Amino acid sequence: MSWVVLLLVALPFASAALSLFVGHRGEVAERGIAVGASAIGLGLAFVVAFPHLGDATPLGHVFARTSAAGPAIELSVYVDQLTAAMLLLAHTVAFLVQVYSLGYMAGDPRYPSYAALISIFTGAMTLVVVADDLWVLLVGWELMGMCSYFLISHHWELREARAGAVKAFLMTRTADLGLLFAIIVLGVRFDTYRISTIMGEIADGGFGRDELWLPALLVTAAVIGKSAQFPLHTWLPDAMPGPTPISALIHAATMVAAGVFLVARTFPLYLSAPAALTTLALVASLTMIISATYALFTNDLKRVLAWSTVSQLAYMFGALAVGAYAAGVLHLLAHGAFKALLFLAAGSVVHAVGTTSMSAMGGLREKLPDTFVTMTVGFGALAGVVPLVGFFTKDAVIGSVWDAARHGHLVWPWVAWVLFASTVLTAVLTVAYSLRAWLMVFLTAAPPLAAEPAVSEAAEPHEAPLSMKVPLYLLTVPTLLGGLVVVYPQAVFGDGEYHLVHPGLAVVMTLLVVATALAVAWQWRRSGGRDPWHPFVLPHPAVDRVYAVGVVRPVRWLARTVRAGDRDVIDRYADGAGAATRGLGWVLRQAQTGNVQTYLMVVVVGACAIAVAAGVAS
Amino acid sequence: MGDSLPLWWPLVLACVLFAIGVYGVLVRRNAVLVLMGVELMLNAVNINLVAFDAYFRDVVHGGQTLALFVIVIAAAEIGLALAIVLRVFRTHGHIEVDALRELADRDEPPADAGADRLDDRAEADQPQEAR
Repeated sequence: MSWVVLLLVALPFASAALSLFVGHRGEVAERGIAVGASAIGLGLAFVVAFPHLGDATPLGHVFARTSAAGPAIELSVYVDQLTAAMLLLAHTVAFLVQVYSLGYMAGDPRYPSYAALISIFTGAMTLVVVADDLWVLLVGWELMGMCSYFLISHHWELREARAGAVKAFLMTRTADLGLLFAIIVLGVRFDTYRISTIMGEIADGGFGRDELWLPALLVTAAVIGKSAQFPLHTWLPDAMPGPTPISALIHAATMVAAGVFLVARTFPLYLSAPAALTTLALVASLTMIISATYALFTNDLKRVLAWSTVSQLAYMFGALAVGAYAAGVLHLLAHGAFKALLFLAAGSVVHAVGTTSMSAMGGLREKLPDTFVTMTVGFGALAGVVPLVGFFTKDAVIGSVWDAARHGHLVWPWVAWVLFASTVLTAVLTVAYSLRAWLMVFLTAAPPLAAEPAVSEAAEPHEAPLSMKVPLYLLTVPTLLGGLVVVYPQAVFGDGEYHLVHPGLAVVMTLLVVATALAVAWQWRRSGGRDPWHPFVLPHPAVDRVYAVGVVRPVRWLARTVRAGDRDVIDRYADGAGAATRGLGWVLRQAQTGNVQTYLMVVVVGACAIAVAAGVAS
Repeated sequence: MGDSLPLWWPLVLACVLFAIGVYGVLVRRNAVLVLMGVELMLNAVNINLVAFDAYFRDVVHGGQTLALFVIVIAAAEIGLALAIVLRVFRTHGHIEVDALRELADRDEPPADAGADRLDDRAEADQPQEAR
């Protein structure tokens, strides 16, 4: 079985290499490799995952280890319930994204590298998920950063795509330093880099409260960067110029999910360090409100979804921060399903309309019936409408925070209360922005500007091809039925006591959802079926301005200084040496007049002088 | 040795001739006269050689032999030099030695290098005209 895991890790990389090798030589072969390899990967993921869901002993295996000085670095895998669930999520979404890209990226000249990078992305996420060694995990972690950089800048001729890619790369890389230092600190402390061993030792106790605060906080820093939490939350919305399937992949299954996964993987470390949990809780409460507010007012469909991802990730961190492991992980899985659905549906809308601006959309219900149905399900899940998966997991998260606020002991009660207030407020905001986006895309009357070019047949919005529709419908299945897992979490996590369903809170939250929805709908009707409220222009988060003043400008200034120093100081030395030599040469050259008689005169006078000197000396 | 010619007479003569030759080489502008200066210097040396040969009563007459060599070489030299002078006159139209300055090392001025390098190079390539 362990070799299957290794194969599962190696397969996407092999497929990427093959894909790049084939390149433009065969369009069909290229597509076959991309989809076929991800289908095989999905199959292998099922083979690996199913025996390890529920009551199963985790699989741990060491393939190789270094014998250098210090703790050994091991190529080792560890598959437990969390890994199994993440493998299923990552490979399902990756497969659907590859299928979807057949239609979405049809005719794109950069399809080979695109497909290869998706494969590498999937492989990197698999590596992160199955790795049992911190360094191996770091390799996958950084590979994901690299792939997201390349994929966000897929349309590198667009300025904002390049800028978004650089921003994502710089922000996540800066935060990744936290993980690097955490690995070193943990390695020194435990004399091993094996995650399962370290976590086992921590879980066995023997460590004082907050004794391991340093590695926990360092991991938190890395996670904040990777999962786009405050104050590094701005890179994710700016990554939107990338192709929409990539956004689905990044937001649902890989990149940002890896942050939540890392917290879940190192959960014993967090439980032993309430300082880190408190930090995480406060960061999450701030992030979810800020990002939900941005989602409420932005006019760009993809940015709405991006901000909603940030806010939903904050939900997961909130749940994990109060010790509700199952609720956090289940919300991660549920969010993976419905956010992939939402992004792929948004891709279908963008494919049809040709822009991501919501004011250019409207009235797409008749034109895009399949997209309408599936995206409605997705938005419903995001808003937490009753039978959909988002309702159950969100209820589990809010309920866990409620429990922690009343009689929790991990974090101070006031932290849990702040978190609880944030989660409830964010739930209301989520309903509002989901409903607004849904109304503006599908129900609002088509904008007059778009109606005029509709005379020409090419501009008429049309439903996506079959390869794009099928993944949408496939993703509605977990979105519709995923709630069953919350009711019966033993299927995933094995036997145990899970307090995930909170009927009282669920009723209150449903009433809140209905009330908010009615208020938004009423506001929408009152504004004449257009945008329910004026898009309040919030172009850039205020944090970005702080970064601009505090980081970007000093770095630019430093760069200019260094360039000036190079040009005006170092180059001056080189130029000065050259000029001095030339000047000296010029002086000496004055003797070379070309007049033979002058030369002879010098010879004669010199000979006489030598003769006289010799005479005087002797 | 008492009745023989004193050594300093030919030595003074050689000195005077050599000095005249040096003067001619350094000062005269006409190439032919410069060559005549060279001849004067060579023959001053010859007088020295012969004088010392006689003074030391050399049995193998090394000095006189060397003088003969010098005469031969001087003849060859003057033949070659006059040919050169002839060529110079054909190409330049004059044989003024101090006006033949094409071999002067005259590059661009060092202060503002680069900008007008090409112009300077073009100028340097042009043959110098007689002044």
